Amino acid sequence: MATQIVMDHSGDTRHYFDANDTKALLEAEERFVKLTGAGFTAAVRTASGEPTVTRSFDPAAKETLFFPRLVGG
Amino acid sequence: MSARLLSAAGQRIRWLLGRVARSAHAARSWHRQQRCTESELRGIKLLREWLSPAQLAQFDLYGYFDVVGCDSGKTYRICYRSGTNIYELDRDGRRKVGWCFVPVDMLVAGDVVLAQKIALETGERRALAVARNFMPSWH
Repeated sequence: MATQIVMDHSGDTRHYFDANDTKALLEAEERFVKLTGAGFTAAVRTASGEPTVTRSFDPAAKETLFFPRLVGG
Repeated sequence: MSARLLSAAGQRIRWLLGRVARSAHAARSWHRQQRCTESELRGIKLLREWLSPAQLAQFDLYGYFDVVGCDSGKTYRICYRSGTNIYELDRDGRRKVGWCFVPVDMLVAGDVVLAQKIALETGERRALAVARNFMPSWH
């Protein structure tokens, strides 16, 4: 199962989906577009574990992490 | 003979000090986690999943971890707090300047520091462009 992890006030909310299920994949892509459109940054990890930011939906990504826009504190 | 004895005693003392430090750290972690809400624990769990092995070891021991900025190669120390928690280090590992940038939404500390880590490791210039800086109060 692939996962989209969205940071929120509860820690995070996880959306699991089967990447082989066309409908689930479409929903995951819509969620990606909606979140990044709202200012969230999407990050995935490389095979070596290093984070990298992704600007487009990757259907093969096992885990995508979304965090809100950053501002000066 | 006496040199060998001194060496053995030194090793034994180092081992004991290491053991005391590890026990103290375990006790601190346990107490910290007892006071955490479920949300904060979830944030810590997510953070730990995304830290590199070296960062995780540092975080477990000291409650902070170092990251290298992707653009400048500078080292930043991120402390486990929700704000004014990033320090740019000089070559000797001393705190040179503080940086503060946070996610716009209210998040638990684990999420905040994870977002800061990813931002510095993947988009250092963009992150610092929105950050405010401050002078560290102590070294």
